[in-house]
Amino acid sequence: MESGGRAELRALMARLQDGDRTAFRPAFGLLWPRLRAFAVRYLGPADGEDAAQGALLRVFSRASEYDRARDALAWALGIALWECRTLRRQRQRRRESPVAPPDEPADQATPEEAAIEGDLRVAAEAILGTLRPMDVETILAAAGGPRAVQGATFRKRLQRALARFRLAWRARHGNE
Amino acid sequence: MATNEPTLLLERRARRAYELGRLRSALRLLPFVVLATVAALASGRPITLALPIGGALLALCLGLSFAGRAPGRAVVPGLLAGGAALVMPLLVATVGHACFGPACMPFCLPACVVGGAIAGAVIARMAVAQGPDPAFLAPALAIAALTGSLGCTISGAAGVVGMLAGVVAAGAPLLVAARR
Repeated sequence: MESGGRAELRALMARLQDGDRTAFRPAFGLLWPRLRAFAVRYLGPADGEDAAQGALLRVFSRASEYDRARDALAWALGIALWECRTLRRQRQRRRESPVAPPDEPADQATPEEAAIEGDLRVAAEAILGTLRPMDVETILAAAGGPRAVQGATFRKRLQRALARFRLAWRARHGNE
Repeated sequence: MATNEPTLLLERRARRAYELGRLRSALRLLPFVVLATVAALASGRPITLALPIGGALLALCLGLSFAGRAPGRAVVPGLLAGGAALVMPLLVATVGHACFGPACMPFCLPACVVGGAIAGAVIARMAVAQGPDPAFLAPALAIAALTGSLGCTISGAAGVVGMLAGVVAAGAPLLVAARR
């Protein structure tokens, strides 16, 4: 997305966070194609569409918590990334055990595991939102998204982006 | 973007998710309002007085916070400012002063006025920071008045009037000065 669109989305999300419903439709119009394109590239057309819808609903559901200081697109893509990874994990589990035994709870996350996963997801999204847009794009690309550059340049960028992510994580959460 | 039927359906679901998210966010204020009401009840406020005021305060806080914009932004400042007006007379009552009849006048009533003055100053400062906007000021004052009333009814109607006088006395000069 060009910087003008990014800034517009940021302004629209800030208005939605404030409760301005007139910003909903333009924000939807900007977000949906980008989330769908991202998720389809990551997971393919069928699963990508599902993940993009889940991510879109989650983004709007959490619009009241949006931090104006953060880049809205990076924040939304962070949510989409987690949605994609969750869906892919679910699909992999289903492929591994097509018919799950009814009294075998090992494949299902316990409520505690689900709560931990949820906390980690929120924490990682929060950290992603504080990084520079290029770092977010690089991390997302490493997770299967589109790559603007290849080879050694990409590896170097990824190394730096992950270092900044780790630094931000430690600054917020310590060495957990 | 083509607005075909699935997209419209998705837009409707996204809008519902947004509204539910706002409601969830507004519900975070619930514990504070309940706490204020319980504090008033624990300090001996009659249930027939504390519950209606607490109920009105809860409805106002949830409604305005859900609606958002300037009235929504006024909720937390209103609660904080009203908290001062709530705590002052309750503190006086807690330390053992009998707030009843003429004995009330030396401490409880001044406590209400001081609490109201703190509330007025806090709201006026926040309103000035936002650019004095009636859509912010009126809800903030209403919420502060209701929160303060939970405590200031300890001195009867005079306590509430004293608190409101304190709000006006402290808040108005700040707002007038900001307009100049």
